[in-house]
Amino acid sequence: MSQSKADGTPLLSRMPTGIAGLDVILNGGFLRGGIYIIQGPPGAGKTILGNQVCYDHVAAGGRALYVTLLAENHDRMLMHMGEMQFFHREEITRSLEYISAFRILEEEGLKGLLTLIRREIQGRKISVLVLDGLVAAEHSAPSELEFKKFIHGLQTQAVVTDCTMFLLTSAGEAAISPEHTMVDGLIELSDEQYGWRSVRDLHVRKFRGSAYLRGRHAFRITQNGIEVFPRTESLLSEPSRDPGGQTRQITTGSASLDKMAGGGLTAGSTTLVVGPTGSGKTALGLQFLSAASEAEPGLHFGFFESNARVLTKSDSLGLGLRKLVKDGHVELMWQPPTEDLIDALSETLLDTVRRRKVKRVVIDGLSAFQRLTTSQDRIAPFFTALVNELRGMGVTTFATLEVPDLIGPISRAPVSELSTITENLILLRYVELHSRLFRLISVLKMRDNEFDPMLREFLLGKNGLDVGDSFNNVEALLSGFGRGVDAPAAGDDGVLTDTSR
Amino acid sequence: MIMQTVLVVDDEFGIGEVLEAILTDDGYRVVTAINGNHALERLAGNRVDLILSDLMMPVMDGAALFAALQADKRYQRIPFVLMCSLPEPNIQNRIKGYTAFLHKPFKVDDVLDIVRKVLGPPPG
Repeated sequence: MSQSKADGTPLLSRMPTGIAGLDVILNGGFLRGGIYIIQGPPGAGKTILGNQVCYDHVAAGGRALYVTLLAENHDRMLMHMGEMQFFHREEITRSLEYISAFRILEEEGLKGLLTLIRREIQGRKISVLVLDGLVAAEHSAPSELEFKKFIHGLQTQAVVTDCTMFLLTSAGEAAISPEHTMVDGLIELSDEQYGWRSVRDLHVRKFRGSAYLRGRHAFRITQNGIEVFPRTESLLSEPSRDPGGQTRQITTGSASLDKMAGGGLTAGSTTLVVGPTGSGKTALGLQFLSAASEAEPGLHFGFFESNARVLTKSDSLGLGLRKLVKDGHVELMWQPPTEDLIDALSETLLDTVRRRKVKRVVIDGLSAFQRLTTSQDRIAPFFTALVNELRGMGVTTFATLEVPDLIGPISRAPVSELSTITENLILLRYVELHSRLFRLISVLKMRDNEFDPMLREFLLGKNGLDVGDSFNNVEALLSGFGRGVDAPAAGDDGVLTDTSR
Repeated sequence: MIMQTVLVVDDEFGIGEVLEAILTDDGYRVVTAINGNHALERLAGNRVDLILSDLMMPVMDGAALFAALQADKRYQRIPFVLMCSLPEPNIQNRIKGYTAFLHKPFKVDDVLDIVRKVLGPPPG
């Protein structure tokens, strides 16, 4: 029985596609009995999408009909679909039929095609229909009006039979076509070139009767069929849970860094660690994870170092991560930044956090997101949404970001706005003093704590990291080249002193 | 065997066509009209067993058509099924006494259920 609102108006029922990301974008799926155009250039994935929707529908107990006009030959189509996980040959003729209607179109025109579709739907009790090759119907129409009447006829048929229809076409990529104004929804598939790389995306241009996630969303085609990844900043424009006002302090994993940070990190906060390669960013993250436990599971989400290398590094620092991994309190996930999609990565990250109830996350190498995105404008809103979601789940996050200069001043963050998104900001630098390189650590921002603003030496050894002394009688450290100032040398007071003169 | 005749009255393009197809396939004869006035003209030339009429139409709407039928002894016994996209309680202050109500958008089975219930199954 269909549900209805208080005034008796029936609620629109949904037809999930079985493609999780697409159903999220469509707020639960297509509207049952609606008529939708799936449009895109050859190779964009229309036929796969049409087939996948059919197979998912019959798997859920429905009946589907795939009607081709001047499209791929059925044998070849089935041969290609046979490679896909969703393909089930036993469904064909039982609950899914493929028919060609091109001859009917040629001999009897649009009226004959409409009659055929009506009879097939009613006779076979079809609840999903795909018409592949709408452009052939359009070309056979004697006038634009006749074509619109055909679309209208399909629409009426869809409503009275509760059959959801998908019209696949490669036409009208740029202009608004008459049929666009008549259907319930329009989805564009595209395959864009970014240098040597191609990225597919899906754009819901129109979707009557329902909210949906606007804008472009990346998708990929694998043997699992089409996988759609809603744009993170669109999906999580509001965090799914209110972060609330956390005040509890948790350890960074290092007593000396806790002291410098004013007592530790606020639970649920995000800390950005910025520094050049080799400055200790990953080590700082591993130290943070070394404090993970059964009650506070951890996740290392890294890009540039394999899990084996991460464990070796942890061993050399005496952090005991290997045992935490073995005991299931820490998970390592290595995502080489080659051809992935940033929204797929954020989905993987958030799914893992939810699944394992992770409370400590290290995202090691934010520049990977920058490298993988097809639009640099996305990075700040993307990271804002991701961080807000992690906060909402009560996760304390350490994120590392590499700056290109090994030594010398940092003129600006390589990804603008990131420092404003995070509560805490730690800078790691190399500084040259007395013909020797020192690692330097400074806390630039700690939103909730009174922190130690001194520039201090940062030591990595067999017992993990340690924050050492501050540099006394030395200036211009952040330029990368410290120089002595005229001041009396201090004694053994825990302060590095310039004694070069 | 004489086929039973259904008069379908609807101004919206496509509705008359689809109802005609559904009912013809089920064994009824169908006559269509695009408003109340047009329906009265059709009634003059056809023996009609059932009227399926939309409520909101130009020239003469479904309520006015029903009133005109009730005022005419020749037509007042013809079963009248009212179709409307508003829920039935919303239109009961405008029209009363019709045989059945068909909410739009309707499904094929809804149409056939009502027509068969009123007329009985088609002969043959």
